[in-house]
Amino acid sequence: MPDMNSLAHPQQHQFNPYTENGGTILAIAGEDFTVIAGDTRQSEGYSIQTRYAPKVFRLTDKAVLAVNGFAADGNMFVKKVRQRLEWYRHAHAKDMPLRAIARLIQTMLYARRFFPFYVYNILGGIEEDGSGAVYSFDPVGSYEREACRAAGAAQSLVQPFLDNQIYFKNQTPAQDTSHPVHLPLHSVLALVIDSFTGATERHIEVGDGLEMYVVLARGNPALQSLQDLPGAEEVTGTQAEERVFVIRRDLKKD
Amino acid sequence: MDHFPTNWGRPRNDLSDAYGTFPLAQRPYNGGKDMFAEGVKHTQQPIVTGTSVLAIKYKDGIMMAADNLASYGSLARFKSIQRLHPVGKYTVIGAGGDMSDFQYIQSILDDTIIEEFAASDGHTLGPVEIHEYLSQIMYARRSKIDPLWNSLIVGGVKDGKRFLAYVDLLGTTYSASTIATGYGAFIAQPLLRKAVEGNENTLTEDAAMAILEESMRVLYYRDARSLDKYQLAKITADGITVSESRHLQTSWSFAEGIRGYGAQTQ
Amino acid sequence: MSIMELNGGSVIAMVGKDCVAIASDLRLGNQALGLSSNFQRIFPVTDRIYVGLPGLGTDVHTLWEKFRFRVNMYTIKEEREIEPETFAHLVSSTLYEHRFGPYFIEPVIAGLAKTPSGGVKPFIAATDLIGCLNFAKDFVVAGTASSKLFGMAEGLWEPDLEPEDLFETISQALMNAVDRDAYSGWGCVVHVITKDKIVTRTLKGRMD
Repeated sequence: MPDMNSLAHPQQHQFNPYTENGGTILAIAGEDFTVIAGDTRQSEGYSIQTRYAPKVFRLTDKAVLAVNGFAADGNMFVKKVRQRLEWYRHAHAKDMPLRAIARLIQTMLYARRFFPFYVYNILGGIEEDGSGAVYSFDPVGSYEREACRAAGAAQSLVQPFLDNQIYFKNQTPAQDTSHPVHLPLHSVLALVIDSFTGATERHIEVGDGLEMYVVLARGNPALQSLQDLPGAEEVTGTQAEERVFVIRRDLKKD
Repeated sequence: MDHFPTNWGRPRNDLSDAYGTFPLAQRPYNGGKDMFAEGVKHTQQPIVTGTSVLAIKYKDGIMMAADNLASYGSLARFKSIQRLHPVGKYTVIGAGGDMSDFQYIQSILDDTIIEEFAASDGHTLGPVEIHEYLSQIMYARRSKIDPLWNSLIVGGVKDGKRFLAYVDLLGTTYSASTIATGYGAFIAQPLLRKAVEGNENTLTEDAAMAILEESMRVLYYRDARSLDKYQLAKITADGITVSESRHLQTSWSFAEGIRGYGAQTQ
Repeated sequence: MSIMELNGGSVIAMVGKDCVAIASDLRLGNQALGLSSNFQRIFPVTDRIYVGLPGLGTDVHTLWEKFRFRVNMYTIKEEREIEPETFAHLVSSTLYEHRFGPYFIEPVIAGLAKTPSGGVKPFIAATDLIGCLNFAKDFVVAGTASSKLFGMAEGLWEPDLEPEDLFETISQALMNAVDRDAYSGWGCVVHVITKDKIVTRTLKGRMD
């Protein structure tokens, strides 16, 4: 029986302007490329709303943004970032550099310090010096440049795996050898796929589909192998020197 | 100690403290209002509500279904409300949630359609544009903490392209080949997905109609805020048709033998 | 404040080829404050069975003494050693006795069962704090770093690992998981159980 007293006074409704839509995103920087990935499931509570709602967006030919958290805020945030990048293009006749986009995102997030965008952002792409870069943000704009980062529902499953496999944490190199500082593209893609299949297995909010954006720096030797990769689609916007590809994979739908 | 900074430095009210007995345990309050004491109030709640809306993609376009009930709490208050609303020539929106908010949305969209018609610039609004516009309205209102309390489905066909998408009071959007709001998301969505996913391009009009009717029937059996009177909307390349009200055939004879279900007392 | 997270600590067990491994961290804390870096929460039940007891520190001791008593009684009455699966059910029913006022422990069991042909069969299991058993074929995890352990194990584990490879796999899974958990860490202990020996190794871990 419900508490009878609770029926006596009116029920207080407080509108909650936020919700969580699940999913996970991940980005890894290589020496001359970056991979930015996200699953495509969108959910609320125990309901799957759709099996295909992209969380990863190409901003320019050298910048890709992944957004995770409250989907409505995420889509609005991407929209606003893109608008600012367009204004920049009109003013300066070139694309904004990656580190500048990162700072822009910080100020845009912090502008909403007291009514935050409930979104975890990971920005990946190619720096002006041609190096692969990943910037990760919290919802109010704290950010740093890293080599890899996972965020979202399965962050706690994926991040320690990346510590181990990307940063070689808790692994001692054999005598007179050292761990590689950067992994090649094919190893990174394999790790991304493994991370997401693992997360799909153990987290109910992760699954359905996987979208991996690959941003290649000028003259990256992996270009040919990506063009030959079945299922890889080139989405480079202009005749820029950086090239952007999407690779799509199925994930379990249960 | 007075913990409200907005009270600090204000004079005591000598009318209610005539003999200057300060300090009082409870000082008379005569300052301005503490602006943040109660927060900014906008928050509402739905009053007259509609329940689930269902929609699917099929071979020729989009089909949607919603019953004709608008409830006032548990009272079945209005029993011939139309919750499927055509917008322009290519789009239908279906609404659950607060019906007055929905009528406000209808008036906004109808005004927009008239405005676009008056411009006569050769452009017309399709389902994609209407969904985008509606999403921006819904998100803007949630951001003012003054939401339009609805779950809306936008479906349509334009330039040979089917479109089916959702938006709600939070501004959350998504698109899928089957969408169900409210209780429909729990009860009808599994039935719709089983019938539609992978068959979007082969499902006939009759089959689409049958699966929606069956889903509406299951909802009527299980959703206490539903009605056995509903309408179907069909959006194809030939245009929009919203059906007359249809009656659901149901059978309750199974309940007779079940204690607690039927009329028996012992 | 959650009682399950008051003292911290995590345990993982994995199946290999004719071997099993069980490992845990060594931290005991009071919320964020670390108190001990040599807190034992894995105990030998028989020569072939180990049990890990992550959860509330005080219940680790109470429950272990209770299990020891009941296993001794079993051994005396039955005049034989308890099998891993039987022990798992003993754990489960002991916990369920306290269904409405439970011990705040989520036990992990690892052992080798005897087969009729005289061989051994790896066995692992875990339960929640009221004794709901989970018999897994691959690995089980519990404790404050459980979600991280799931991610690590799901990425590293493969079938039929030899004892040395199983040791490396479970160690890497545990160490990298507890390094991302504020309530676990401060060193690890790993037991690898094979037919004719048990290898126990204590690992140095990050002390932050």
